[in-house]
Amino acid sequence: MALIRTQFTSRKLEEVFSTSAGAVYQADSERCLYVDFAGKRTRLNFLCFLRLKTAVEKVDIEQMLLDAEAPDLEIISICACEHCFVLDATEILAFRELLQGAFVMFKLNHIIKDCLYRLPVS
Amino acid sequence: MKDLIRIKSMLSTETEKHLNQQIKKEAYASAIYLSMAGWCDRNGFQGAADHFYKQSDEERDHQLKLFKFLSDMGGTAISPEVTNVKQEFGSFREVFEEALEHEIAVTQSFKNIMAHLHKEGDYVTAEYLNWFLKEQREEEYVARRILELFDVIGEEGTGRWDIDRHIHKIEYNEA
Ligand SMILES: [Fe+2]
Ligand SMILES: [Fe+2]
Repeated sequence: MALIRTQFTSRKLEEVFSTSAGAVYQADSERCLYVDFAGKRTRLNFLCFLRLKTAVEKVDIEQMLLDAEAPDLEIISICACEHCFVLDATEILAFRELLQGAFVMFKLNHIIKDCLYRLPVS
Repeated sequence: MKDLIRIKSMLSTETEKHLNQQIKKEAYASAIYLSMAGWCDRNGFQGAADHFYKQSDEERDHQLKLFKFLSDMGGTAISPEVTNVKQEFGSFREVFEEALEHEIAVTQSFKNIMAHLHKEGDYVTAEYLNWFLKEQREEEYVARRILELFDVIGEEGTGRWDIDRHIHKIEYNEA
């Protein structure tokens, strides 16, 4: 993990949001996001990141836990993005928290941009 | 940090959700009007059938207009699933009662979206949706006037035949 991390040190990564389970970073120079989760780092553009969040939110956790027939693991893949995640219920909950937190921060960043740069008269 | 969410789209997540729901409602309207057209056709009401075929096309246009807007502004427009389309109706009058009820629901839905847009300060989208508000004025007027024909002309004797022949004459002329 530490080794992978050093590969990216040339790019400036800003932390968007992190939890004990993972972190989301934004790389302005590449206009993309890095997601550290489930022991790997995934690079996604914004649209794929949005799709990932939708896919993770769509999983029916209740059914996963209560239905004995239902598989214990969920495969989350987003078309046009080569990445996929194989996660259990606890991991999905943690992933959800991470991704939703990231979107709250995106919104906050949007509000701050409006207030500090777009609206004031220079 | 770049404002990626805004760079990608002019619309907020909530607005996008509202618009996708409305796209679905317009698609459903198109489907239900088509089913009404079919019912009227097979029960001998040709004037009413023509009216509903036209309405069905219009609703499809509404759906496309919203879909295109949502896409153009950077959002993800979702091609909706349409299910539970009623195929049978109890009577000629019932068809028009349901049509009016449906238009009222759509008007209400747009009012709801507008309230949200004003709360959010998204006047750009609100301005675009003004066209739909105006359209609803016309849609409700026509549906209400047609329904009134059932009382004005009456259904007895050749009443329903008369009503059917009158439908195309109803149009909304803005004051
Ligand atoms: Fe419509
Ligand atoms: Fe309509």
